Amino acid sequence: MGWELIVVMVVPLVVGLASWWTPAKLSRVLSLASGLLSFVLALTLIPARSATALSGWLRVDALSVVFMVTVAFLYMTTAVFAAGDLRPGGDKRYLRRFFAGFNLFAWAMLMATAVNGFALLWVAIEITTIISALLVAIEGTDTATEAAWKYVVIASMGLGIALFGTIVLYEAGTVVFGSSYEPFYSELLRAAGRFSPELVRLSFVLAVLGFGTKMGLVPLHTWLPDAHSEAPTAVSALLSGALLAVSFYAILRFYQVSIRTLGPAFPRDILLGFGLASLVLSSLSLANQRDLKRLFAYSSIEHMGVLAVGMSFSTRIAVVGVLLHVLAHAAAKSTAFFGAGSVTNTFGTKDMRRIRGGTAALPWSGPMLLLAVLGLSAMPPFGLFRSEFLIVSGGLTDPKDAVAAVLLVLGSAATLGLSWFASQTMLTPAGRRPPSGTGVRGSSEELAPAEACPALPGSPPARSSAWIVAAMATGLGALALLGVHPPGVLSGLLERAARELGALR
Amino acid sequence: MLRLATLWTAGVPAVAPAFSPGPSRYSSVTEAITLVVLLTEFAMLRAGLSRSQVRLYAFQSFAVSVLAVFVAANNGIGELYAVAILAFVLKVVVVPAILTRLLRDAYVGLVASHRLRVATMVLIAIVVSVLAFIVIKQLPIRSPSLPTATMGIACAVILVSFLLVILRSDVVSQAVGTFSLGNGIDVANFIIAAGLPLILGVVLLFDLLVAAVVFGLLIRAHHGRARTLSTETLEQLRG
Amino acid sequence: MAGIDLTPVQIQVFQVLAIVVLAPLLSGAIEHLEGRLQGRRGPRILQPYYDLAKLFRKETLLPEDAGWVFVAGPLVAFMCYLVVPLLIPVLTAYPLPLGFMGDILGGGFILGLAGFVVALAAAQSGGPYAQLGSSRSMTFGALIEPSMLFITFTVALVTTTDLPYFEAAASRASLGQAVRPAHLLAAVAFFLVVLGDTGRIPVETHASTLEFGMIDEARLLEHSGPLLALLKWGSAMKQMILYTILVNVFVAPWGLAGSRALSAVLLAIPVLMGKAFGVGVVFAVIDNSFSKLRLFKITEFMAGAFLLAALAVVVLYLGSG
Repeated sequence: MGWELIVVMVVPLVVGLASWWTPAKLSRVLSLASGLLSFVLALTLIPARSATALSGWLRVDALSVVFMVTVAFLYMTTAVFAAGDLRPGGDKRYLRRFFAGFNLFAWAMLMATAVNGFALLWVAIEITTIISALLVAIEGTDTATEAAWKYVVIASMGLGIALFGTIVLYEAGTVVFGSSYEPFYSELLRAAGRFSPELVRLSFVLAVLGFGTKMGLVPLHTWLPDAHSEAPTAVSALLSGALLAVSFYAILRFYQVSIRTLGPAFPRDILLGFGLASLVLSSLSLANQRDLKRLFAYSSIEHMGVLAVGMSFSTRIAVVGVLLHVLAHAAAKSTAFFGAGSVTNTFGTKDMRRIRGGTAALPWSGPMLLLAVLGLSAMPPFGLFRSEFLIVSGGLTDPKDAVAAVLLVLGSAATLGLSWFASQTMLTPAGRRPPSGTGVRGSSEELAPAEACPALPGSPPARSSAWIVAAMATGLGALALLGVHPPGVLSGLLERAARELGALR
Repeated sequence: MLRLATLWTAGVPAVAPAFSPGPSRYSSVTEAITLVVLLTEFAMLRAGLSRSQVRLYAFQSFAVSVLAVFVAANNGIGELYAVAILAFVLKVVVVPAILTRLLRDAYVGLVASHRLRVATMVLIAIVVSVLAFIVIKQLPIRSPSLPTATMGIACAVILVSFLLVILRSDVVSQAVGTFSLGNGIDVANFIIAAGLPLILGVVLLFDLLVAAVVFGLLIRAHHGRARTLSTETLEQLRG
Repeated sequence: MAGIDLTPVQIQVFQVLAIVVLAPLLSGAIEHLEGRLQGRRGPRILQPYYDLAKLFRKETLLPEDAGWVFVAGPLVAFMCYLVVPLLIPVLTAYPLPLGFMGDILGGGFILGLAGFVVALAAAQSGGPYAQLGSSRSMTFGALIEPSMLFITFTVALVTTTDLPYFEAAASRASLGQAVRPAHLLAAVAFFLVVLGDTGRIPVETHASTLEFGMIDEARLLEHSGPLLALLKWGSAMKQMILYTILVNVFVAPWGLAGSRALSAVLLAIPVLMGKAFGVGVVFAVIDNSFSKLRLFKITEFMAGAFLLAALAVVVLYLGSG
């Protein structure tokens, strides 16, 4: 048991490095194969109680498998999308850098879920930062450079804090293990009851601050909308669906230790505070957005807030809901971004006031984008409805969480605004363009003529291709599956993961 | 008046009162070195020239590697020598060299990017450092390798490096601020995890190396675009 | 020990006399060195004595508006400078009578009083430069005050008293104490305070001709004759006092007389002179290597001194330091 882990660790790395030399056509095929393989292997890990490899340095339990499946699923669908979005024959240098970075990015995120130990977890997340920053900057425009700079400065500072938290947690462990030991999760968890509460409390706060920066918790979220809107679409999908989830996973690892040392109250309060802040601010900001991808970025912040609040309920139902939410959000958000990418390619702009008649121009991806947006607003029958339902009902079991649960419902209701915007862009016939200049804010650059907006340098502006449609269909299918009837084996996995997170009630 | 009179008549006490011997020489010296690291961080707040910013960073890294040697020698941790050498090669030589080269290509020497007056910035930084000391004082940190007061200093270095990034608006200061954050964490690492330098040391140096690569790329890209090293122009993306 | 033993009172008199007599010599030596550093021949080492003698022979001219404050200022200031050496270890490692009359803070207050009366006298003269100088010197004096206060706190925390004799004794007691970061920080902070207080670059170009940036020197412009002599002598003494505190309390409290023997006390005088001149060399080198700060940038300098002093206290109080 465990060879799957090694394969998952090796294949994307090799593919990523090879993409630097192979022609774009081959890179495309390799990425597809690697994504598919990773996803299948991650699925085979679901029934296992745990898997270990490399004498304990790689180890997955139910919790990490949830996130590994999330990442691997996105890796696969994004590879499919990229195959349609970036046709070979574009700028060779761009394609080479894109495929190398894309595969390495996925590899680093898979590694974050597979490694055993806080130091290695940090290393993996640091690698994701570096690669994703380069991917954000890849288009080389002014705004992309600006977004990448903000991202790399803010995320590095956040990771500095997270590293400090890791060191403090390590110090807490020295009481039990002496001054020299490997901070494996399982050993730390077993001994966590004897740690000094002050140190664990500090390390948890630092970890939430640090990894919360990468997860996009308000008020540490400022880089997120910029990076998401400026990155190439495939990267935006990975950032939003996978990277944020992986950062959340890191916080959950610290959470596991903290509840054993401190009891549930303190970690809950911290998560609740950050979660509510994210929920409220992002719901309010949603209404202000005119940029399609920024709109989805704020929706990501909102869903991260839901995750944090849900985690703070800490009942079994709520925690299962949170983990399901991670999966469903990945599926829905990636589909939405794919649709946005397809719309952007067609209309040459991300400004929603200039996009009209989407369903007419894009007969396949247009409607699917609408469905994904409905899914993101937690409408039945999609997965996010089920997960938010679980979270809210988990919260309502405890009267003191009821207020937060109600807030969560209201926050989700606010995101219906998102559906409103999106449906306008899609359903309003193309002839009825609003007169230009009616912008609410920041209008001057955003209303530049559509022709001036550069298309992706890697591709001739494609309309909608079968690849894109396939990627979106896969995402929607998964989202619907999670909503209508999650497979039994998956439910079992989520239950086990919730138990690992100390949610027994 | 009475006291004066007695002093006058009683003459001289034979010897000065006995003092507590004070801290050991090792802890005095190591604390002094960590303080040098902190003071360099303060100097970065002030430094006007991008070039001197890089030099200060090199100097600070040098102090950190000297500290590593001291800790290694006093506690008999062989691996820390390796960390010290690596830190020296990377942070004192390679990274400053790369940054200096980037700056030479950028033709921008003087960057007046202080968002506040220097004296105000220093006062804020003092307050922040005191805060760090007080917080760390509350924690039951027992270091096998260094005096515990250094933990407060390391934490102050980290916080002041945040200030550096926040209060300076040029690319070099922000980059150097992020790197020197690494130096502060390095010191914290020597204090807490000196027994396990391999894993955390690799973490830190790795962090630095890749960060340098990313920053180098970005500084170049940024300069190629904006023809200036100031981040004031980075304000297209809002909301 | 063979030889003559002095009474403590006699030694105390020696301390004061050493400062009074040697201060112009120290100034002359530093001036001479500076001249050499700048490639000039420089004034004679004994030049300050000749200057003083000449000034004492001249008549005193009073500005029209000047009253008794103008006359009393230099006298009071000179007396202040006579009192301070009683409180600090000039020649001996052990405390002398009246040595506990005031602590470091007391000494600082007396020096402050001297500065204040000089500024007052200058202000009464009605001369624009003198008034500018006095207002500036009071402003920067106020800015340097917090640093001085924190240095005092450091001394107090290290020795549990704030008597300069004991800070010196503590440093002598163990090398660990002397290289202790709090002690080093306080010493450097005090060095900066001295730099500012004696009107040196980067705060002010000393011994300059008329210029807008002048601070301390401007205060003397309206005085003449014996009053000016007293002021000049006073500032030489102030310089020597501050150097003495710097070396004998903070940096190098070694080489002081350990007994009451006349020979030991006499030997301490050239040692003190040597150490003070050593400080003077450092100051002269700084003078020649840096440029003056703009007047409005002096706050940065003061903030630097305050940073060091505050860190010293923080390290000591919150760490083991």
